[in-house]
Amino acid sequence: MSSYFSIEYLALFLPAVLILYNLMPQRYRWLLLLFASYLFFWLISGVLILYLLTATLTTYIIALHIGRLQQQRNMLLQQVDRPERKAIRISYQKKQQKFITAGVLILLGMLIVLKYSGFIGINIQSLLNVLHLPLTLQIPSFVLPIGISFYTLQALSYLFDVYREKIQAEWNLGRLALYLAFFLTIIEGPICRYSDLSFQLYEGKKISWNQFLFGMQRIVYGLMKKIVIADRLNLFIKTIFHDYNSYDGGMIALGALLYTCQLYMEFSGTMDVIIGSGEMFALKIEENFRQPFFSKTISEFWQRWHISLGLWFKDYIFYPLSMSKPLKKLTAWARKKVGNHYGPLASGAIALFCVWLANGFWHGSGWNYIFFGLYHFTLILGGSLIEPVTSRIVSFLRINKESAPYQFFQIIRTSVFVVIGELFFRAKGLKAGIHMFITICTNFSWTSLSNSIFSIGMDRQDFIVVIIGILIVFMISVVKERGLSFRALISGQPVMLRWSLYYMFILFIVIFGAYGVGYIPVDPIYANF
Amino acid sequence: MERLLAILEDIQPDVDYKTCTSLIKDHILDSLSILSLVAEIEDEFDITVPAVEIVPDNFNSADAIWTMILRLEEN
Amino acid sequence: MKIKYVVRSILFVTGLMISLSLASWVVFPKNNSVEFGMSDVNANGILGEDDDTIDVLVLGDSLSYSSISPMMMWKEEGFTAYVCGTSAQQLYESMNFLKQAFVNQKPKIVILETNAIYRSFSPIKTIENSFHRLFPVFQYHDRWKSILPVDFGGSVEYTWRDDLKGFKYSNKIDGINAQDYMRKSDQAAEIPELNRQYVKDMAKLCEENDAQMILISTPSSVNWNYKRHNGIRLLAEEYGLNYYDLNLLSEDISIDWSRDTRDKGDHLNYFGARKVSAYLGRFLKNEYALPDHRQDKNYQSWNEAYIRYQQITEQS
Repeated sequence: MSSYFSIEYLALFLPAVLILYNLMPQRYRWLLLLFASYLFFWLISGVLILYLLTATLTTYIIALHIGRLQQQRNMLLQQVDRPERKAIRISYQKKQQKFITAGVLILLGMLIVLKYSGFIGINIQSLLNVLHLPLTLQIPSFVLPIGISFYTLQALSYLFDVYREKIQAEWNLGRLALYLAFFLTIIEGPICRYSDLSFQLYEGKKISWNQFLFGMQRIVYGLMKKIVIADRLNLFIKTIFHDYNSYDGGMIALGALLYTCQLYMEFSGTMDVIIGSGEMFALKIEENFRQPFFSKTISEFWQRWHISLGLWFKDYIFYPLSMSKPLKKLTAWARKKVGNHYGPLASGAIALFCVWLANGFWHGSGWNYIFFGLYHFTLILGGSLIEPVTSRIVSFLRINKESAPYQFFQIIRTSVFVVIGELFFRAKGLKAGIHMFITICTNFSWTSLSNSIFSIGMDRQDFIVVIIGILIVFMISVVKERGLSFRALISGQPVMLRWSLYYMFILFIVIFGAYGVGYIPVDPIYANF
Repeated sequence: MERLLAILEDIQPDVDYKTCTSLIKDHILDSLSILSLVAEIEDEFDITVPAVEIVPDNFNSADAIWTMILRLEEN
Repeated sequence: MKIKYVVRSILFVTGLMISLSLASWVVFPKNNSVEFGMSDVNANGILGEDDDTIDVLVLGDSLSYSSISPMMMWKEEGFTAYVCGTSAQQLYESMNFLKQAFVNQKPKIVILETNAIYRSFSPIKTIENSFHRLFPVFQYHDRWKSILPVDFGGSVEYTWRDDLKGFKYSNKIDGINAQDYMRKSDQAAEIPELNRQYVKDMAKLCEENDAQMILISTPSSVNWNYKRHNGIRLLAEEYGLNYYDLNLLSEDISIDWSRDTRDKGDHLNYFGARKVSAYLGRFLKNEYALPDHRQDKNYQSWNEAYIRYQQITEQS
C-alpha cells in the first residue's frame, strides 16, 4: 500500500472503507475514517505511528491550554473597564506565546531531528574536516514515518489558527487525530486547514451517486497521468539523470523538460486520485493544482502549483514575518524614501527569503533543494525589482500586454524557468545539477537529439503514446482554464457516446500504461518529502 | 472611506476600487502591495493589523478593507 | 431511483468487460513463439507439443530449468519430460502452468521443484493473477508495439517447439567450495500458509487428472539447507506426497561444486544438470514405471530434437 495507485489501495482498501462507510450510521462514520486512517498509517509505517501519536497529543494539549487562556482572558475583559483591557490582553498574549512556542518547538523539533539530522550531521562533519579538527561525529539516521512533512504542517496550522482565534481548540481528541492522520491527505497532501477539512470529516455526509461517479472519473484520469505518462517517461528520465555525464546538452535539456512533465503528471495525478477518492466520500478536498503551465510569471506559477504548500508558507511565514513590528517599520520608512513599488520590497524580500529557504528545506535535506528554493526566490524577487523597467520597455515598444503573442511569450518564458528549476530539483545533488546546467549551455546540439533520442529507454512508439497522453491532459486543462468543467461537458452527452468515451479511455490506460513486466513503478515522488 | 480610497489609488492606480470585489482573486493586489497597504492603513488610522487578518476575504474589495478597519478601531 | 443505478452499473460493467475481452483477444499471442509476443517461451514451448505426449511435467523456479534436462532423460530412458520452469516462479504461476498443461497433456508425474515453495508472495498477487487470466490484456498489453495483422483476425495456433524442452543450457563455470551446506539440523524452515495451500491445491488438481505430484529438491548450495529439507519433508508427510531431496544423495549424484555450478552454488550448469538428469531419469523410470517411446514413430520429433540438442551441448 505504498501508493494511491497500488492495487492494494484502489481495489481493496478504498472499496472496503467505502462500503463500511455507507453501512455505518452517520454519527459514527468519522470513527470509521479514523480507524481506517490509523490502519493505513500502520500498514505503511508500523510502529512509527508513535511519532504521529506524539504529535497529535502534543498538538491537542497545547491547543487546549491556549483555548483555556483565551476563555479566561475573555471573562476578565468583560469584568474590567476599557483602560485596563489592554494590559490584560498583553499579559495573556504572553502566556499564550509560551505555549505556542513550546508546541512549535516540539513539532518542528521532531521533524528536524528525524528528517534533517543526517544532513546537518554530514555538513558539520565536513566543516570540522575543513577546519582540520580531529572529531568524528556519530551521524544518526532515522526511518521517517510516512507523511511527517505533511502532518507536521497541518498540526502547526491548527495550532496557529487556534492561537489567532480563527478556530476554537478541539476538545474531541479523536476529531483532531482524524484531521492529522486522514488517510487521503497524509502521504502527499494537500495540506488542509482544520476549518476546511475537519467539519466535513466529522459530518459523515451521505454519499451521492453523481459525486461518486465524478470521483471515479477523476481517479481514472489520475491513473492515466501516472501510468501512461509519468511511468513511461521514467524509462528515459532515469537514464539521463543517472548517467548525466554521457549525454550532451540537447539530451539533458530534453531530460529536464520531460522530468518537469513527469513530476507534474505524477503529483497532480496523485491529487486527482486523492480528490476523486474524497468525492466518493462526499468530501471536498481543496485543489492543489490549477493548470500551472498556463502561468505568466513565476510567482503566478507558485499560486497554481502545489497550492496548499504555497498558501501555508504565505499564511504562516510570509505575512507574520513581513507584518512583524521591525519589518513593518522598515516598510513604512522605505516607502517614504523609494516610493510605492520598491518600498515594501525590502521587508517583503526578507520574508520571501525565509519562505523559499523553508520551501527548499521542506522538499528535502540536500543542497540541491535549498538551491531550488533560493532559485525561485531570486526569480520572484528579480521579477519584482525589474517590473517597472519591463513595463516601461513594453509600453515603449508599444506591445499590447493583453495580446496573445505576448502572453504566449510570457508562458513559455515562465515554463523555461520552471524546467531549469526542476533540473536542479531532480539532479543527484547540487554538483550534478550545476554540471548538467553547464552542459546545456555549452554543449547543446540538435543533431544528437535527433540521433539518439529513441535509443535510451523510450522508442518512437513510447514517445507517441506519451505525446497523445499529454495532449489529452492539455485539452482538459484548456477546458478547465476557461472555467468549464470537462466532466459536466461529458455528462451532457448521449449515453452511448459517453460510455464509448469511457471505454476508450479505460482501454487507453490498460493497453498503453507502463505497468507489468519490464516496468518498475515510480515511487510516489512527493511521499518522500 | 475617502482616506482609504486615496491610499489604494496611491498604491495601485487605475483601478475602480468602488466596484471591484476581486482585488485579491484577480491578483490586482499582490502580496507586496498588501504590505504597503497595511503599513499605510496602520499609519493613517492608528491601528494594528495582525497577520491573522490578512485573508482574501478582508482585502477583496475596498468595502471589505473598510469593514476590517472599523472592526480593528473598535478594539 | 436505486434500481436505476444498479441496472446502469451492471450494464456499464458488462460493457467494460466485453471491451476488455476484445482487447485481450487482440493482444493475446496467436502463436507461442517470441515473434508472436509469447512470454516465457521456453516454458510455454509445451503448448507446441502434440497432445498427450508428455509423461513428466516439471514446475519450479530457475533451479528447475537449470538442473533438469528432459532431452538427456529421453536419450537415456525414453520417456518425455517438459520443464515449465520460469525464473523466480511463484506457486500461483506454477499453478497456471499446471492448469495449462492439463488442457492438452496427461502427464503421469508432476514434479514440483521445492525452492518455489519457499518463495513467499502477497495475496494481492493472486488477485492480480486471476485478473490476468480473466483478461490477458493486463498481461500482454505491452504487445501493442508489435501488433501484427494476424492479431485482429487469426485464431490461436501453437506451433513452436523448444528443442531443450524447457531446459536452459549454460556451460559457464563459476565454482565454490560448498562441502557441508547440508549439515544436519532438527529445525524446520517455515512455509507460508498461502504457499502450503497452493501445494495442497496443486496436489489435488493432479489427483483429479490422474497424475501424481512429487516434490524434488535439486542441488543448490546457496538455496538449500537442512532446515528447508525438514520443512518440505513435514509438508510432504502432511499431504501424503513423495519427496526426494537430491542434495542428500551425494553418493549417487556427485556434484563437484567447484565445476558444476554457473554462479557459485546458486544454480547448476550443464555439467551439474547432466549428473542430476542421469540419476533422476533412471530413478523415475524405475520407481514410476514410465514408458519408453524411443522407437515409437509418433515420437520421432523427439529423436530429431535430440540431434539438435546434441549440437547445442557439444561445445561443452
